[in-house]
Amino acid sequence: MTATRLGFALLLGVAVSAPAIAQAPGVTKDTIKIGSFGPLTGPSYLYGKLVMNGIDVVFDEVNAAGGVHGRKLVLVREDDKCNAEGGIAAVKKLIHQEQVFLIHGGGCSNAAIAARDEVEKAKTPWVVFAAVADSVSAPVAPNIYTTALYASLESVAQLQFALDKGAKKIAIVSMRDAWGRQRYEPMVAAVKAKGITLVADEELTPDANDATPQALKLKAAGADAVLMVLYPKPAAVFLRDAWKLGYKPILVGQTAISDPAAFEEQVAVPGATVNFSTISMVKYVPDDPAVEKWRKLVEAKFPGDRLSTFNLFGVGSAKVVVEALKKAGPELTQARFLKALGELENFDAEMFGAPITCKTPDHRCNKAPAWLKKDPGGPTKVLGVTKVAM
Amino acid sequence: MLGYLLFSGVTTGALYALVALGIVVVFKATAIVNFAHGELFMIGGFLAYTLHVMLGLPYVPSLALAVACTFLVGMATDRIAFRPLMKSNMVALVLATVGFSFVLKGIGRSIWGGRGDYLPFPPLVGFDPIILPGDIVIVPQQLVVLIGALAVMVVFAAFFRLTRIGRMMQATADNPKAATLVGIRTDRIYMMTFAVGGAVAAAAAALMAPLTLLYPDIGFSLFIKGFAAAVLGGLASLPGAVIGGIGVGVIEALAGGYIHTSFLDVSAFVVIMAVLVLKPTGLLGGARLRRV
Repeated sequence: MTATRLGFALLLGVAVSAPAIAQAPGVTKDTIKIGSFGPLTGPSYLYGKLVMNGIDVVFDEVNAAGGVHGRKLVLVREDDKCNAEGGIAAVKKLIHQEQVFLIHGGGCSNAAIAARDEVEKAKTPWVVFAAVADSVSAPVAPNIYTTALYASLESVAQLQFALDKGAKKIAIVSMRDAWGRQRYEPMVAAVKAKGITLVADEELTPDANDATPQALKLKAAGADAVLMVLYPKPAAVFLRDAWKLGYKPILVGQTAISDPAAFEEQVAVPGATVNFSTISMVKYVPDDPAVEKWRKLVEAKFPGDRLSTFNLFGVGSAKVVVEALKKAGPELTQARFLKALGELENFDAEMFGAPITCKTPDHRCNKAPAWLKKDPGGPTKVLGVTKVAM
Repeated sequence: MLGYLLFSGVTTGALYALVALGIVVVFKATAIVNFAHGELFMIGGFLAYTLHVMLGLPYVPSLALAVACTFLVGMATDRIAFRPLMKSNMVALVLATVGFSFVLKGIGRSIWGGRGDYLPFPPLVGFDPIILPGDIVIVPQQLVVLIGALAVMVVFAAFFRLTRIGRMMQATADNPKAATLVGIRTDRIYMMTFAVGGAVAAAAAALMAPLTLLYPDIGFSLFIKGFAAAVLGGLASLPGAVIGGIGVGVIEALAGGYIHTSFLDVSAFVVIMAVLVLKPTGLLGGARLRRV
């Protein structure tokens, strides 16, 4: 009887656990299929292809060490062309055709926002790696987490940075389209919360060819720090016109202008970017010796590529995903993965400004923007990290 | 501040005037608005970039070659978007130019789009500012733009008044049937018209690129401003296009400087609407003519 009971118990155990394993899409005895979407082509490929390349080298390293609980990680890429319809198509394919276990992607905010409904409906775990729009990760969904910074956090950080630099007269120059407003409104709220009165608040359109009125007004107002909520092109026009007028305030950018070296080349006016600093999602620049290992891995796997900041986004985010997969255990289900991810606290993903904590009500795991600055003719350097309490 | 704003407004207005000239010259001859004109500007600018920045040719030869190449692209506009549909209705013609604009934009994106969101174009002279009387600070390229735009307008005017082909273009614009009757090959004149419009667009792009920066979507935003300038000045008036362009540029700068920068883009259109209510044919547009 005992043997019978034991046998029955074993059979019951298998019967209970087997469906859980069988039901987890994208998981086999040997592999875990992870889907990724982002722009693989066009000028926005930085936020897709390059981030995925960073993920790839982390997965290669994990796989070389035997995988996660014996399962190798397989990355499946889809090109969303950085547009809404591309984002929807990409996640549908990953979820329903490729049947991935989780999605680790989202480079362009518009594509990610459009894709969100589909991912939420399918309840597929999604770790966002680069899209920063607030509405990608809000309202909170049980299956969506992000390791990227987000727009309202960056706006608060921009203000904090200017105040930390000793600025007394703050001004904003911003785009007021949908992208701009989601940064501008939290920024203005943060200014009010600190009891600060802006000395100037000017608008600049994305296709502006001249920013003389804006620069004149900011100069006339005596602003010693200008918080820029601008795409790179209008930002470059603004910097040129400010420089022309001899106006040299502290200029505070955000992740839309994530590469100070490229921005300096594109402004193409010697000295115009000397007071410009901007936010980075990661605390290293590509030529930092601390990331030499990743440089070798990326450049070996992708000949012709040089290590870029965007590769490092992927490296950091992939480490978070791998850690959650490990903690989810060998009996892998999507629910267990989400539980493990949601319990992640103070995890050192190596790349980000501070250890990652996903155990937050808002599922936003990275709240420590780093700051970059490039001296003219010199290297880009990391100035420090702002920890934003949000 | 007024001096700065006026100078900046006139410089931007000169750009709008050049774009408007290209729109008006085609409209006068064909009675259609060439919606691909903005993309001709973009193509001309990128051709100048390729020649000057990528291939290392000096600025002036690059500008000349870009103008020549875009002249040919203008001819292609006629052949592809206009000539096959000449006998169709106006809607078909306009839609054809819209379609061709998307084709040109796609070509621009595929060739140059991958190089980054926007590209800097080195100025003819350095960026060190010049201080004018009244302590107005400008960059030398602004003077280059103004002088260049003036030169283009003078050459344009001389072309129409003093050359045989220019007079034939005027005749065709005034009365295509009569022009045909006197032996003018109006099909070739239309082709020349589109080609000249393209050449003017390229000249504007090469002059302005060091100030505006280049990106594949630049064409439409400038087309809208150029079209607004042409409407303000009178769609059938070349001098009107110039006045309209300068007017739009100055109104934008003054509104941005004295009212609020959020009014910068919309102010010119508000003024245009007001002008059109009072004078529907534009500032220098003549009385409406009915062709019989």
